[in-house]
Amino acid sequence: MRLWTKQRFGYIAAATALLLLAATGGHAQTVSFAPSATSIDHRYEGGFPFIVGGGVAAFDCDGDGLPELVFAGGAATAALYRNVSKPGGELAFRLAPAAALALTEIVGAYPADFDGDGHTDLALLRVGENVLLRGRGDCGFERANAQWGFTGGTAWSTGFTATWERGAPWPTIAIANYIDRVRPDSTEGACHNNMLMRPKADGRGFAAPLALSPGHCALSILFSDWNASGAADLRISNDRQYYRDGEEQLWRIRPGALPRRYSRGEGWQRLNIWGMGIASRDITGDGRPEYFLTSMADNKLRTLAADAGSAPTFADIALARGATAHRPTSGPDQARPSTGWHSAFADVNNDGHDDIFIVKGNVAAMADFATHDPNVLLLGTADGRFTDTALDADVASPHSGRGGAVVDLNGDGRLDIVVVNRQAPVEIWRNTGPAGNWLSVALRQDGGNRDAIGAWIEVEVGKSRHTREVTIGGGHASGVSAPQHFGLGDVAEARVRVRWPGSDVWGDWHRVDANRRVTMVRPPR
Amino acid sequence: MKFRNGLIAGASAVAFALVATAASAEGLTIGVSWSNFQEERWKTDEAAMKAAIEANGDKYISADAQSSSEKQLADVESLIARGANALIVLAQDAATIVPAIGRANAEGIPVVGYDRLIEVPGVFYLTFDNREVGRIQAREVFKKQPKGRYVFIKGSAADPNADFLHAGQLEVLDAAIKSGDIQVVGEQYTDGWLPENAQKNMEQILTANDNKVDAVVASNDGTAGGVVAALTAQGLEGLPVSGQDGDHAALNRVAKGLQTVSVWKDARELGKSAGNIASALASGTAPDKVDGAVKWSGGPKGETMDAIFLKPVPITMDNLNVVIDAGWIAKDRACQGVGADGAPACR
Repeated sequence: MRLWTKQRFGYIAAATALLLLAATGGHAQTVSFAPSATSIDHRYEGGFPFIVGGGVAAFDCDGDGLPELVFAGGAATAALYRNVSKPGGELAFRLAPAAALALTEIVGAYPADFDGDGHTDLALLRVGENVLLRGRGDCGFERANAQWGFTGGTAWSTGFTATWERGAPWPTIAIANYIDRVRPDSTEGACHNNMLMRPKADGRGFAAPLALSPGHCALSILFSDWNASGAADLRISNDRQYYRDGEEQLWRIRPGALPRRYSRGEGWQRLNIWGMGIASRDITGDGRPEYFLTSMADNKLRTLAADAGSAPTFADIALARGATAHRPTSGPDQARPSTGWHSAFADVNNDGHDDIFIVKGNVAAMADFATHDPNVLLLGTADGRFTDTALDADVASPHSGRGGAVVDLNGDGRLDIVVVNRQAPVEIWRNTGPAGNWLSVALRQDGGNRDAIGAWIEVEVGKSRHTREVTIGGGHASGVSAPQHFGLGDVAEARVRVRWPGSDVWGDWHRVDANRRVTMVRPPR
Repeated sequence: MKFRNGLIAGASAVAFALVATAASAEGLTIGVSWSNFQEERWKTDEAAMKAAIEANGDKYISADAQSSSEKQLADVESLIARGANALIVLAQDAATIVPAIGRANAEGIPVVGYDRLIEVPGVFYLTFDNREVGRIQAREVFKKQPKGRYVFIKGSAADPNADFLHAGQLEVLDAAIKSGDIQVVGEQYTDGWLPENAQKNMEQILTANDNKVDAVVASNDGTAGGVVAALTAQGLEGLPVSGQDGDHAALNRVAKGLQTVSVWKDARELGKSAGNIASALASGTAPDKVDGAVKWSGGPKGETMDAIFLKPVPITMDNLNVVIDAGWIAKDRACQGVGADGAPACR
């Protein structure tokens, strides 16, 4: 069943409402999830190289509008689970054979349509050679490294991101690399360089990789247009445990120019964290993304500094907003700080305020950090502050979590949660809470960048406006390719407009009723 | 009389002994910023610190960052706002705390970096002498075994302290190694300082040497535990083995003769010294005039700082009573299962 139809030349496609939820009042603080006994039986396994990673890619590969799940397996093989949930109903998955995915040593997995053929492809990050899989439709995949000129390398890779530079029909991708396994005990620090791969001159496939040097033991990487300039730069989050003189990085990426790091003179300031994952979302309403960086103890919520001007100077607002999530707020181990991995902004109760889900878990047996380290669900409120509701919401699992996804798995307009645990089963929670109204927006355009990565979506709900950059990458070893979800609260209709990739102007506003999935199609240029 | 440090004509008083200086300036406020007060160990430090501050006639105020470096920034600001004349800071994150130290500097408020290095000019650094820990470990093992086949079980390669310790160990043993009296037959870092990794490494070294090992310099009590387990499995228990931290299990091994020494850092001494230093600085004593202060520039950035390094105490079978008398460990715990040939304190 198709959940939405596509109207090729219309600016906005017809939408099928799935569940017309009655507008609810008083739902704002109520969130509940039900552990879902799906048939998913998967664990992220293995020793030292697999203390990090444990990714999941969520994307629809059979065209029914419900996301499939591909899990990294570490020392075990990866697995593809088809989503056979009934729309609006219980979650159900079925293990699907996929020869191209029968690989071990996979740390992370990200979905993106590289070749623009309408079938989502996969980037598999590995300890050893990385692999790109071309999607052939109906969840078939084939190895595409040779066909696309992709250099898999030999490093310990952890993160992935992609952007389509202005005018390019083929993506520019970046890969985060972690510790150099050949000399992991080196006291001067031993980090791999990260990699940037641009399109070949003929616009199909990749040119030779560029090293982004120095690398500082990266665990997450994200192309994001931090100042809404129309071009994405590259943010890299690094693990200070393993570098000596490193820091968080922001690389300036412009067509035709070599990548270079933003300097102190340009306003980039040193930040040293145990960087595990990057999430982005504009939560201050200024039309520019904030960045949530997971780490050990404090997590960081970074916003452009008030006096930044046009400089990439960021300030911390996690403490002021109650979003540090630096130690468990429930369970027997609240005296020790916690360890955050994947995180995602998501409005899980559709109240119009973004929430933050953080997957947590001790690295292995780090005595200075909490062993019982439950996941955190920071519920956003009208005053901009966050409160952990994971315990009440029933998602405070104490397993050693790593990757994750917050995505609507059954098309009911409520975001569900997937968590990959290290050496423990994958967990899935169905969102069963009373929720407000919602809107789900997919983007389509011709040319290579079919899913319009790098576009901006604005949704106007009453007097408030949500601005959303469409990205792929970041998180911890995990990525989602799915329509953008917006909570609308009690409001029954909204206006939507899009600034398409490579365009300097916003498109027209479109009025949309709540509680439906719409596809915005780029008008012919 | 109340005056703020550094700004006063009475700075001539700084030449006097610490206690006299503090007494002349009573009524000052000492603000203490803890990184995570829920960790049990800091409660001992606090009691001694508070007692010292109050004995000097000053007032103790504190804040707990609860492991959040961002909260600690706010805590320091708030301690300043509450009128702190000097600060003692146990940094959650020595890099993140720097702006708060700058704020204190700007207000002329002296800062004592407590136990963890805050490498900013003007900060007074108080900690135990880690290099001396390594020296003591080597010295006590060397006393028992001046010749023979030695093994070094070092700490985590990712922790700079592991190398400080090892450097101290080598200072003591270098001559004997050069003369050939000591042969180093194994040397390993211990990933994450974990006892099970130390045990695995020790087992491999024993196998490679056909069990011909005479002494083990292990860098802390956790790794010493792994070493003793590996030795015991081969019937080699009782070889000289070093450690540090005064772990209860290690002190029991010392009492039984399974471990030669545990180097102990008395948290009460650290707390008391910090209280006295802060009171002195608050009342205007120049940092380099604090009793016992030395100039030190051994940090990663090479900043020259005023510092005091307290001497750790070697706990051996002969002086086990020191930790029992101090209330660090109960006698029945230290002496559990100790036979007639064990520590005298257990008799």
